[in-house]
This record gives sequence, C-alpha cells and structure tokens, in this order.
Amino acid sequence: MSELKRTQLYDIHIQAGASMVDFGGWEMPIQYPTGIVAEHLYTRHACSLFDVSHMGRLLIEGPERVKFLQHVLTSNVTALDLNQAQYCIIPDENGNAVDDAYLYRFEEDRFLLVVNAANIDKDLSHLMKIVKDYDCTIKNISADYASIAVQGPNSREILTTLSGGEAVTEPMKNALNTLEMEGRTVRVSKTGYTGEPLGYEVFIESGEAAWLWGRLIELGAKPAGLGARDTLRMEAGLPLYGHEMGTAPDGSAIPIFAVSLAKFAVSFSEQKGDYIGRKPLERQYAAFKRIMSRNFTDLDVLPRRIQPITLLDRGVMREGMPVYRGEELIGWVTSGTMVPYYRHEGEGLATRILDDTVKRAIGNAYIASDVLEDDLVEVDVRGKRLKAVIPPYHMRVDAPPFARPIVYKPDEEETVADAGNLEPRALELIQKASENHRWRQESCINLIPSENSASRAVRLLCACDPAFRYAEHKKIKSFYDKDIFYYQGTKFIDQVEQLLVEQMKQYLGCSEVETRVISGQMSNMAAFSALMDWKNRLDRKHTPKRLGYVLNNHIIKGGHLSAQPMGALHDYIAVDPVTERSAVVNFPVCKDNIYKIDVEETKKVIEKYRPELIIFGKSMVLYREPIAAIRKFVDDQNIPTTIMYDMAHVLGLVGDHFQKPFEEGAELVTGSTHKTFFGPQRGVIGVNYKKSELKYGLWETIETRAFPGSVSNHHLGTQLGLLMAAYEMNTFKDQYQKAVIENAKYFARCLKAQGLDVAGDPGIDYTETHQVIVPVGYGSGPEVAERLEQNNIIVNYQATPDEEGFTASGALRMGVSEMTRFGFGKEAFEQLAELMADCILRSKNVSEDVKKLRANYAEMHYCFDDREMEEALEGLLKQIGL
Amino acid sequence: MNYPVDLKYSKSHEWVKMDGDVAVIGISDFAQNALGDVVFVNLPQDGDSVSAGESFGDVESVKTVSDLISPVSGTICQVNEALLDAPEKLNQDAYGAWIMKVKNLDGEEELLDAAAYEAFCAQEG
Repeated sequence: MSELKRTQLYDIHIQAGASMVDFGGWEMPIQYPTGIVAEHLYTRHACSLFDVSHMGRLLIEGPERVKFLQHVLTSNVTALDLNQAQYCIIPDENGNAVDDAYLYRFEEDRFLLVVNAANIDKDLSHLMKIVKDYDCTIKNISADYASIAVQGPNSREILTTLSGGEAVTEPMKNALNTLEMEGRTVRVSKTGYTGEPLGYEVFIESGEAAWLWGRLIELGAKPAGLGARDTLRMEAGLPLYGHEMGTAPDGSAIPIFAVSLAKFAVSFSEQKGDYIGRKPLERQYAAFKRIMSRNFTDLDVLPRRIQPITLLDRGVMREGMPVYRGEELIGWVTSGTMVPYYRHEGEGLATRILDDTVKRAIGNAYIASDVLEDDLVEVDVRGKRLKAVIPPYHMRVDAPPFARPIVYKPDEEETVADAGNLEPRALELIQKASENHRWRQESCINLIPSENSASRAVRLLCACDPAFRYAEHKKIKSFYDKDIFYYQGTKFIDQVEQLLVEQMKQYLGCSEVETRVISGQMSNMAAFSALMDWKNRLDRKHTPKRLGYVLNNHIIKGGHLSAQPMGALHDYIAVDPVTERSAVVNFPVCKDNIYKIDVEETKKVIEKYRPELIIFGKSMVLYREPIAAIRKFVDDQNIPTTIMYDMAHVLGLVGDHFQKPFEEGAELVTGSTHKTFFGPQRGVIGVNYKKSELKYGLWETIETRAFPGSVSNHHLGTQLGLLMAAYEMNTFKDQYQKAVIENAKYFARCLKAQGLDVAGDPGIDYTETHQVIVPVGYGSGPEVAERLEQNNIIVNYQATPDEEGFTASGALRMGVSEMTRFGFGKEAFEQLAELMADCILRSKNVSEDVKKLRANYAEMHYCFDDREMEEALEGLLKQIGL
Repeated sequence: MNYPVDLKYSKSHEWVKMDGDVAVIGISDFAQNALGDVVFVNLPQDGDSVSAGESFGDVESVKTVSDLISPVSGTICQVNEALLDAPEKLNQDAYGAWIMKVKNLDGEEELLDAAAYEAFCAQEG
C-alpha cells in the first residue's frame, strides 16, 4: 500500500493497532482492536475520535469569493455569518452532485470548504476551471492542517477541559470558534457526521495533530475508525457520496433533491444568481414539492428518493440489493448493515439508557418516490426476499445530550373502552384535586418563578357568576369611542373592567391598557398582529408585509418563548430574502456574563439591522433590561422603531425596586398577571401613546387585535379576580417588591454559602430580579429537579445560555415571589438553602423538614387580611352558595 | 492468533473437529478476526445435506458478508441455534462457538493441520 497517502496521524493509528484500508487513495483506519460495534457504542455513550484529516480542505479568498461560491455551491453563502458553517452540495450543470461539502466561515474574509477525500482531485479540477473567471483563489491547505472529529455526549466536557473552561462554541449546531487549547490555536466547529447532538470537528496545524489526539485520549476519548463512522452516519440518516449521492446501482445519476437534506442545502435566493445547475434544480424542487404533497402523477424528474429502510425479517441488507414492492423492482439499498444500540427503559424524561445492547438491521434505499412511510417492501438478500419497512427515521437528536435510536414500531390501533358509570370517576376527581391542592399549597415550597399563589379574595372572585358569561364589547367612533356591549346583563362586568383598566394604568404608569387578552402569550400575539397591521395600514391592496427585522433575546440566552419565531412571533415575522431565515436578530450578551445584554454591541446590531421592533424581556432573567440606554441610542440616531418590553416574568416588579418601563423609554409593555403579579392567569398590554401622537393609531389597532382579533369571550371570572389582585398590588407593591428582591439576593448568597454554584455576578448578590439560577452540572437539571420534587421542593430545570436545550439542562431556575407572599424572609430562605444543599449535594431525604418549614408560613401576605375582609368573604361564600 | 492442534482447517477458514463419526464445524480465529464484529449468521437446517466445498450459510459482520463453506459432505444433525441471538460468540470464542454438526460423512475438502494452516494464513496476511 506504499502508494497510498497517509494522514498526519498515521503512526498513531498503527501504534494503536488499527486495521488500515485503502479509502479513496488514503491509508486509513477501518477499525481499532476494539472493533466497529464497540466504537459505535462508545461514540453514542461517551466520546470517540475520528481522524478526518484525509478530507480535502480548500481555502477560498479574494474579493469575489462570495460571488464564486454562490456560483459553484447550492447553498446561500451570503446567509453564512462569521463563525457559522453550512452544509452544501457542489452541483453539476444537470443538477446532480459532483460532491457534498461543508463550508466554514472562521474568518471574515475567507471561507474553508471541506470536501470528501475520494473526490478531492475531481472537485479541484471542476472548481479550478471556474475560479479562473473570478477575482479569488482556491488554495489546497489539506496538508497544512489536520482535522479530528470529536463526537459523543462527553465531547463538550473533554474539549472544555482543554480550553481551560472557556465555552468551546455557542451551543447551536454549525457554530464555529477559534480558541486556545493549552497554548495551541485550534478552530472548532459544532458539526459532525455521527448524528451526535454533541459533536465537534477540530482543525489544528499538522505539527500539533498528534499532541491534540493524545490529549483527547488522555481525557477519555477513544479512537474510532471509518467502519464506525459509516454505521453512525447510516443510523443518523446522513448521506454518503458514492452511496446516497453520485451514481445509482443502475448507472443513473442520483438527482440532488432525491436526498431530503437538499431542502436545507439548496437555495434559490436571488442572491445566488444563475448558479451551476440552478434550472434543473428548480425542476427537481418543483417535483420534490409535488411528491411531498403526495401528488405522484409526474415522477419523471425525481423517479426515486433516498429513504431510510429497516429489515423486519432476520438478516442484513447491503448496498446494491434490489428492493421490491410486490413483483415490481422499485430501487436498491444504498447503505445497509446491522448497527448496535443501547436498550432503554422508562418513558419521557425518565427514560433511562441501559447498559445492555441489541442490534438492528437498517440502511438507506434509493426507491420509488411514491413509497410512503410505513410502507412494506421486500429486499432481495442474495436470492432470498426479506420483509422490510420504510420508517420515518432511525434516530432522533432532539433530546440532547444523547442521540436516541428510534426502533420501528407500527402504530397500534387505539381502542376506546366503554366509559361505564362516571360518578365514581367524578368523585375521584374531587378527591384528587383536593389532595393536589393541599400538597401544592400546604406541603410544597414552590420556587417556580413563573408561578404565584393568589389570595383567598382573588380565588373566590374568580368563581363568581361572571366566570360563565359573555361580554363582548367594542369602541364605536360614532358614539365618541364609547364601548358598546353585544350582550345584556353585563353592566357589572363593564364596571369591573373599567376599574381594572384604571388600576393597571396606575400600576404600569401609562396612558392606555388592554385587559381582555387572557394570557401573556396572547398579549404578545395581539401586539405583534397590531404592529404588522399598523405597518400595512396605508396599503390594503397587497398581502400585508410581515415584521422584520426584530431584535429580541435568543431563547437559549434566556429569551421568552412568547417573543420567538417559534412562539407568538411565528405568524408575524418576515423571512429575510438574503439569509432565507426569520428576520430576527438577537441581543448580544456580555462575554463574561452571558445573562446580561451587552449594550455597546447591541448598538452596533441596531445600526446594522435597524430593527423596526425591539423586544426586551426574558424568562430567565437576572438583570434589569437596558431600556434607557437603548432608547437614548435609537432617539439620538433617529432610528424609527418600537421599543417593547415583554414583562411577563417581572410584571409584579414594576416600580422603584426594579424597573419603571415607560419612564425608561418603553412604548409598549406586555405581561402575564400571575407570575410575579398577584392575579389569576391572564395577560395585559399597556402603551403610553397620547391621542395626539401618530402611534395612537397603533394603540387603537392593538385594541381591535385584542377584540375581535384574539378573543370573543375574554373570560370574565378571572377579570374579577384580577381587579382584586390589582387592588392588592397597588396597595402593597412597595413592601412586596422590596422583600422579593432582598429575598432573592439573600437566598442566592445562602445557596452559595451552602456550596452550591450560583449564576450571576456576586458583586450584586447574583440577581436584580426575583430569580436565582443554580447550575447543577451539565444535563443534570431534570434529575435534580425531580429529586427536589420528591422532597416537596418545586423548581424548574432550565438550560443555561451555553447549553443545547431543555433535556440537556444543567441548571435550576428558581423564583422567590410565591414564598415571599407566604411570609418567607431571611431566616426561612437560609433554612431552605440548607435543605436544598442537603438534597442536591448530599442526596439527603428532606421531605419532612421541608413540610415543617412550609407549615410555619401558611398565611398569605400582601393582601387585605383584616376582620372586615374575612367577614366579607365568608358572606360571599354563603350568599353564592359555594 | 490461535491455531489449536487438535483441529483440521480448510483453506476457506473453517475448522473441523471429529467427535466419533460426527464432524463439528466452525470458523477459525483468523476468520473471525478478519471479519470483524459478527452481527448475524445465516444457519442451515437440521437434516439438510451439505457438500464439501459448497456454501451452507453465511456470516455477516458489520463490514461485509462471507459465505460459510462446508469442509465435509454429509447430513446436518445439529445446528447451533444460540448463534442466531448471539452471533458475537463467533468473535469471542471461535473454537467454542461451533456452527453445525455433520454425520453420514462421505467426503471432505483438502484439510490442513494446525501448522500448515498457520503458514497458509501467514501468506494470506
């Protein structure tokens, strides 16, 4: 094999006893003495290293680099931000793949294109012919740098050890970073070819490759060869050039859109111009859309597609084996083998991955485009027809830190049992509700920051007659904006609503309030809908334009779900034609404090994107939002925008001890009334526009988007309760808010003193809000939160700003408002911190101690609790017959 | 690599052990090592007749599939069905994990002794 090329790590593979094979002209390890199965499994539960230095690394630089890449790749290169990577395909004139590749932007003015080792000569000659016409160059730097794929659930921790604790990359897939590891410069990419939710590819100068490999092994990673790389990518459903791309077993070219990843890799943005293969790709895309809509009348352009396939009979599928539907040959297996997986038990978050393993025969097939998920087919395995099925996928990665194998199971038919006599169930419901109520109200210490307990008066009022009534009403201009009610019997609730609006105006410090929205999310939807309608008010003859750009807090950085494109913003946000993504940009956060908005960087973002809407507010919130600084900046720069503060989590803190949003420059405040506020579950919208202002029209639009835009019946019973809550808040807010913030700071200090980690700046006692964030170890959040619940302490587990998502949560999010209402002060929070440390750090059972502590604080504070109120409530109970 | 001296070997890497008038057949340590992780075995059935030099089943590793070639002719009297659920036994214990037993023997391939087989394997590299 002397003519074969060797990577920088060849000697290390030989020393490790690897079996070497010829792979695309390279002498590469197919497996180590551990074997493919063990290497596959170690990747899935720990961390494997793959030498991917054989892949081609091409550096593209020069003034016309973007123009060139837009012409030779399928992806939208202008959408690629600094420190981002994207998957792409190198197309030919016919819309088939020359190769697939990954494009990395580690530097502002250079792109790194990584291509398959076996295709590097072909790719280079293809690209070199074209690059001549552009003012840019392609440099093959494959020999200068080695690449190592570090893949698996432990990869993050291992690399973070080498970086001295610095976050390796942002937690999102395709994020890049350049950083120092023990004095060496490395470039890291959150990408990989194993399907692992935690996986990185590291680029390092050739001379340092052996050092890095050795350090990664010392830290617990194990080497894996090309064999495991293939089984892992197959299980993940990732295509391999030469199997799922390139030439099919019958000699025909596989069109790019036969692979479903093409949906992401191929762009038809105007930015791309008339790139290579665009026309045939547009035809393929049209065919793809027809097929995905189950219109199979014209399959000429895409006769077959790559789909996952699972063998139902015993056996193993291999590449090239024919696939039949009845007697009809419908295609071929493109990759197939048996892959191992760990069995699991339990359901949902309590799913436990076991130590024992099983194997399953899976693969991919290039088969007729009208084959649907769950269809049964047959594979000709050396003359024997074996039954197989088309599963939706072989694996899912949406519950990090683990990739989860999905074993094919046909849908079971649901049987509806005869309900029988329902009265016993009705009685059981009452019994259970009573038990639950007493547990949550009497035995539990509730630290969920988005919850609170309401006073007795609020609760009783919510059960009064209006709870079952309608009171639709609308302002009519002909009657000088008087509200007209659509139903009779509503004079009382009319009065309640007017009083509620007055109380909320006073509380928020603004001129207009809408209280008909029944949740915080609905408040935001009504506000976004109104902003969009207002934007289009002068042109009703075209489809309305959506909002964009919008500046908000990223969900991973504590942003509120209700202000995200996946949440309330979904139907109102535009797609940027340049990036082909939602026209949302996020507040930059401070490098040394990821919980805090970086004001100076934010100004740069605002200048660049000129957002028409700026949404402050978070659900994981330790700091005041820098509204005044941003208001001053947009006013000074004369940037037309609307500053909104989604105060859902901090509505009950409006005032001297936290923030006064309208005084600081917010125009629009939304919120929910049951988190830090005292109310039942509703929403509220406030604005501070004067009648004489242009934007008063936006306010009127908000009213109509509340009713009839969002509700017809606005749940009158809770409105009654909310009025009482507003009376309580306006009476007691100064004492309550002061106590909440002091308690949060003190609680944070106590938790720290008990040996727990507390997020935030110790210089300000960690928090300026009701929240305290306690990191408990990567991925441990759900388990610790469950343990606390068994000990009667209720918290949220939450992903911190550098974690991948809620199943990988490494923190507890807590709020002190509810317990403050029950009279918790310094002494109680100190005791609670100790009990929590006992439970979290020492696994002690503290459930009885928690109950005892809770029992000392049974009485609700910051509400009217004198004899007169007590008598009034007793009277109400009797009179309404409850 | 292990080449027990009490066995005979075929050039297609099966071993044969005579147990009275019954031939016990499996794959050699060299074969399992070359295959890598065995994930599936296609076994013949009790009562099937086999011919020396012809395939009686196949063994699948993660990487590849390989025919099993019978070193003897005769009638199968027992099949090691435990291999269906635990094919990795072929890797773990190549000489303990027999595949089939054959009786009514009436012919065999050229079989090598341990030393000759070891030399043959060294050539195959």
